[in-house]
Amino acid sequence: MSLPSVADSVQPAGATVGSGPPEEATRRTAGGDVFRAVAHNRKALAGVGLLLGFVVLALIPGQIAPDDPRAKIYTPGLGPSWHHLFGTTAYGEDVFSQLVWGTRQSLLIAVLVGGLATVIGVVVGVSAGYLGGTTDGILSLITDVILVIPIFPLIIVIAAYERNSGFFTLVIVLGLLGWSYGARQLRSQTLSLRTRDFLEAARVRGERKSYVIVKEILPTMTSLIVASFLGAAVYAVLFAAGLQFIGLGDPNSQSWGTMLYWAENNEALGAGMTYWAIMPGVFVALLGAAFALLNYAFDEISSPALRLRKLETTGVDAEQETAVPIRPPDEKNILEVRDLSVAYASDHGPVVAVDRVSFELGRGEFLGIVGESACGKSTLVYAIARLLGAPLAGEITGGQVFFKGRDMVTLADKELRHIRWRDYSVVMQSAMNALNPVLTVADQMRDACEAHSTMSKREIEQRSKEVLRLVSIDPVHLHSYPHQLSGGMRQRAMIAMALLFTPELIVMDEPTSALDVVGQRSLMVQIKELQERLGFAVIFVTHDMSLVRHFSDRLLVMYAAQVAELGLTRQVFAKPLHPYTTGLLEAFPSIHGPKEHLLGIPGQPPDLLRLPPGCRFAPRCPHVADRCRVERPALYRVNGELVRCFLHEQAEEPVAVSTEGVA
Amino acid sequence: MRFVFRRLGFFVVTLWAAVTLNFLIPRLMPGNAAIAMMARYKGRLNPQALHALEIAFGVNAHQSFFHAYLTYLGNIARGHFGTSLTFFPDTVAHQVLQALPWTLALVGVTTVMAFVLGTFIGLVSAWRRGTALDGALPPLFVITSAFPYFWLALLAIWLFSIKLGWFPPSGGYDVTTTVGWNWTFVSDALNHSVLPAATILVTAIGGWILTMRNNTITVLTEDYVRMARAKGLKPWRIMWTYAGRNAILPNLVGFAMSLGFVVGGAILVEFVFNYPGVGWMFLQSVENQDYALMQALFLLITVAVLLAILAADVATAFLDPRTRERG
Amino acid sequence: MSEPLLRAEGLTRHFRVGKLLSSQKLHAVDDVLFELGRGEIVALVGESGSGKSTIARLIARVYRPTAGEIFFEGRPVSALRTRRQRLAYASDVAMVFQDPYSSINPAYRVTHPIRRGVVLHRRDVPRSKRQEEVVESLASVGLLPAAQVAAKFPHELSGGQRQRVGFASALVVKPKLIVADEPVSMLDVSIRIGVLNLMSELREREGVSFLYITHDVASARYVADRVLVLYAGHLVEEGPTEDVIQRPKHPYTQLLLSAVPDPRAPLGVSDAADVGEPPKVIDPKEGCRFRARCPLAIDRCETETPRLRPVGRGRLAACHVAQAD
Repeated sequence: MSLPSVADSVQPAGATVGSGPPEEATRRTAGGDVFRAVAHNRKALAGVGLLLGFVVLALIPGQIAPDDPRAKIYTPGLGPSWHHLFGTTAYGEDVFSQLVWGTRQSLLIAVLVGGLATVIGVVVGVSAGYLGGTTDGILSLITDVILVIPIFPLIIVIAAYERNSGFFTLVIVLGLLGWSYGARQLRSQTLSLRTRDFLEAARVRGERKSYVIVKEILPTMTSLIVASFLGAAVYAVLFAAGLQFIGLGDPNSQSWGTMLYWAENNEALGAGMTYWAIMPGVFVALLGAAFALLNYAFDEISSPALRLRKLETTGVDAEQETAVPIRPPDEKNILEVRDLSVAYASDHGPVVAVDRVSFELGRGEFLGIVGESACGKSTLVYAIARLLGAPLAGEITGGQVFFKGRDMVTLADKELRHIRWRDYSVVMQSAMNALNPVLTVADQMRDACEAHSTMSKREIEQRSKEVLRLVSIDPVHLHSYPHQLSGGMRQRAMIAMALLFTPELIVMDEPTSALDVVGQRSLMVQIKELQERLGFAVIFVTHDMSLVRHFSDRLLVMYAAQVAELGLTRQVFAKPLHPYTTGLLEAFPSIHGPKEHLLGIPGQPPDLLRLPPGCRFAPRCPHVADRCRVERPALYRVNGELVRCFLHEQAEEPVAVSTEGVA
Repeated sequence: MRFVFRRLGFFVVTLWAAVTLNFLIPRLMPGNAAIAMMARYKGRLNPQALHALEIAFGVNAHQSFFHAYLTYLGNIARGHFGTSLTFFPDTVAHQVLQALPWTLALVGVTTVMAFVLGTFIGLVSAWRRGTALDGALPPLFVITSAFPYFWLALLAIWLFSIKLGWFPPSGGYDVTTTVGWNWTFVSDALNHSVLPAATILVTAIGGWILTMRNNTITVLTEDYVRMARAKGLKPWRIMWTYAGRNAILPNLVGFAMSLGFVVGGAILVEFVFNYPGVGWMFLQSVENQDYALMQALFLLITVAVLLAILAADVATAFLDPRTRERG
Repeated sequence: MSEPLLRAEGLTRHFRVGKLLSSQKLHAVDDVLFELGRGEIVALVGESGSGKSTIARLIARVYRPTAGEIFFEGRPVSALRTRRQRLAYASDVAMVFQDPYSSINPAYRVTHPIRRGVVLHRRDVPRSKRQEEVVESLASVGLLPAAQVAAKFPHELSGGQRQRVGFASALVVKPKLIVADEPVSMLDVSIRIGVLNLMSELREREGVSFLYITHDVASARYVADRVLVLYAGHLVEEGPTEDVIQRPKHPYTQLLLSAVPDPRAPLGVSDAADVGEPPKVIDPKEGCRFRARCPLAIDRCETETPRLRPVGRGRLAACHVAQAD
């Protein structure tokens, strides 16, 4: 028995079962990744640039500003000139030199306080989050109290009793008071990490708690720790400057804040020594901005949702459109999808998630769409429902979707809104996520009703209760919030909502996968009953073929963004044509009949960014021939079915229905 | 409701911590600030007031630490904050109440405005992602949120007061006018408050725009927003009720946490503008080593922050049904 | 008769739930009794909330039992005190987790958990040979070419590959028992069989026992020698897999089996949509926990909690109504 080889299929991870395009990696796991990310982010570059500039000033101030900043030898109150870039102070010192030499202190404060606050924050936050219980209670209370007490006034109070405190006192005090925000963030991140299995795995393995904290938890929070440091640095720079400005720092120190203090004392603004009064503040602002920019950029880098990517279409489909004459859609069919293609932008280039898919759906028909992760099935139905966009972030790049005779792809948003929910509705995978947590079920039904009809409040309430009864939910739950309902009830409530206007088509994206097997079964039965009673068509997406076996009329099997097989359900099950379908059917161990050894399908679905040159299923196909590896099969019609496989090329009706696009 | 009670309990603890800090800090500091202060008071106060001060600062060695603490707590509870040195012989309490309305008007109003405006701009900016508006705003506000408040105040004075002469450079009102609810006074006061208000607004708003924008973007990726689109709801309704109401929740929490910063900045702004509010008085008291006044003002500031946070918490509980149950 | 590898007696675990000062207890697992022998694969079948994951964690010592005891090789697990003893147990009992996307630390390469296993539990492997051992273990679970895979980070592997890494981490400590908590539920259907086959193969090759936790009865039939059925914290049925599947005694097992989707089965009897859900068992009263959904419930079910009793050869069921052979 051969074990699957990974050699030709070690690729970036696929997405979780049943979802759309693969998730981007959110963790920075190699330094190279971070470097590249920073290099591409303009804000990060700006921040780094500014910071480097300041570091240079701090390291070699003598080279840049040769004048002694303390020397009171110049004419006081001079304006800017070539010799004195920013003029002189009221005491005859060179402003520019003071600025340059003052960099050291500010940078030092930023780094030291940032470091101290971050260390305390990490220790407190992670311990509170991981150790839990009373430790958490106490640490969190301390954190929250320090967070809430206004820090600046507190520091002023402390400084008031200890006037002219030295540099290190300032650092210690700022550091001891500025860690609470970071600790809070780190604690909640640690808490959410606790649900991650790898921590439990480490404990089961026998690792000590201290090891887990230091070696397992901390490395996954580097971006948060860096953000914490940067935030503390900004705070340190601003607070230190503020303190010195009001005269609570050491008036003899070399720093920007002190410069501002002396300038204010000498009414520099009014006396025309504008640069002396303004420039130190500019430097403070710039240093603060550098840290803030880096912080913001880090935020973007570590959370992909915040990055915007533009899709560059290849323009291939443009030439195809003119070549194919547009047939009017068949009246019998409520939905006709023709050569629909969807692509989205990824970090590594455009990915075609749906590749020229075509099918028809008659009125009242039940179509099951089956496939595994990243096959494109969810993207397909969301494209049909014109619901693409974050997080799927895809765009329709070609094809037509005729719904009741009109091409949905070309419909404008306004017209689309008219037919939404009334003519077709959608049921999503997870009711917990699909229902707005801050609105009651009643509210969410009402806004759909209000958007599409002129029903009165009472009528809306009546109708809402009616649809709840249809799915066996006691109408008393109408005014509950989603989190107050059980899992099964939530799911059924979603279906009830979809029935508000008794649409002609309901698209369901894995509506039962969040339920247990018994719940799944009963929900399927209920859906089928409703369908037969009310007569709507259903497109049912699932990764579990057996679910739709007894309920669907036709079946569409998708593989790697393409149609692999399409035909009557009972036919496909009785005699599957595509080797993938056969493989899928045989991957289900049965509880009936004799126990047999199964093989499943070796390997995994291909990475859509690196598709094999020939048939997409070839690397895993038990019937693969040489031809399959280099040529791409078209869809062939066999016995009223469509199948994309060379095995059936010499079929009864050798009419190629649609061909692949150009390479 | 349980949630609100828990928060109230937390605030009582925090208030207690602030009061205790007030008590402890002078005793922990090296040097004898208390003694120095006592020396300056001597001869100016009647014996009872002097005695009260002795107790407050623990100079009287006859009292144990704990006993002094309890007396101190009792005094605070009864509103006996002592006599102000700066505004001698007026009591601290009276002076504080004079300054309070100015700060409430300036800082209170602008902070709320900054939050509301910032949240709204952040929401719209995220909704119109990828457009010019969204491209320009975030980096701009990242930078402005790092500006020191006092520097911006100086800049404002230089530009709008000295160079352009549009607004007065300092004070809360013109000392030649009569204080009272007459139009001359009120319009004059408003005139004086434009620059300080603008300074606070510009600096504070940046942070809230950014957090709201990021929260909204995250919320927009949620399934229930897609569901709202699927239902064919109007865009502004989706933005408002689905995205906005959920995105604002973490922002309210952020409001609480960043309030400390804003208050600190407001103090500096009042200082630069010589605006007769609580912040300015606070710094005056530090300058004059008027510790009694300083302590009272610190407590007041803390209470104000706590009240604002409580308001934000109540708003969160109102908007998020899940919080109400967590209790 | 030799001592079974693992025996659980009266195993109970409660969790405190509710608001801050409430004394409500969630009865996740109540009075569970079972055995597991050497080289045996036993399936623990139940829906979510049945307590199966809790049992897994009780055995892996993530939780301590509220009552009852687990005996490993005859010795009670609660008696493990010193670090040495606990480490020895971790060498004998390993765990594989459900979610391939969160069971490996993303900050390190995939060899990290395997290497830690070697460091902690394989004193027989000298330092210089550690990397070799790690790469070996990747090969032994079918991740080839092992040297290439060893250099990868988790996000570069697919779900099925990550699960295999999970098995490798468990195997490398040379355990006697592997607790597999729903190892295939989050994998694509076509990949599952491969992983299930791996489990069988490892049992043949290495003689390691498996406690296979799942909600999918069909997969339990595929790999397990014996099956235990769990409902709302109670063990309701037990016996050799084939026997239980073909002739289920407990009404819940019957319901479960009828709901299993099977592409090749003929359309079954159309069931009235059973809209019940397993209950959250908080401070339960006496009585059978399945009675609300049971078509065969009698009065006695309301008042008396059924205990496991023999209903055939090697068969146990906790039901007042179940017919013995």
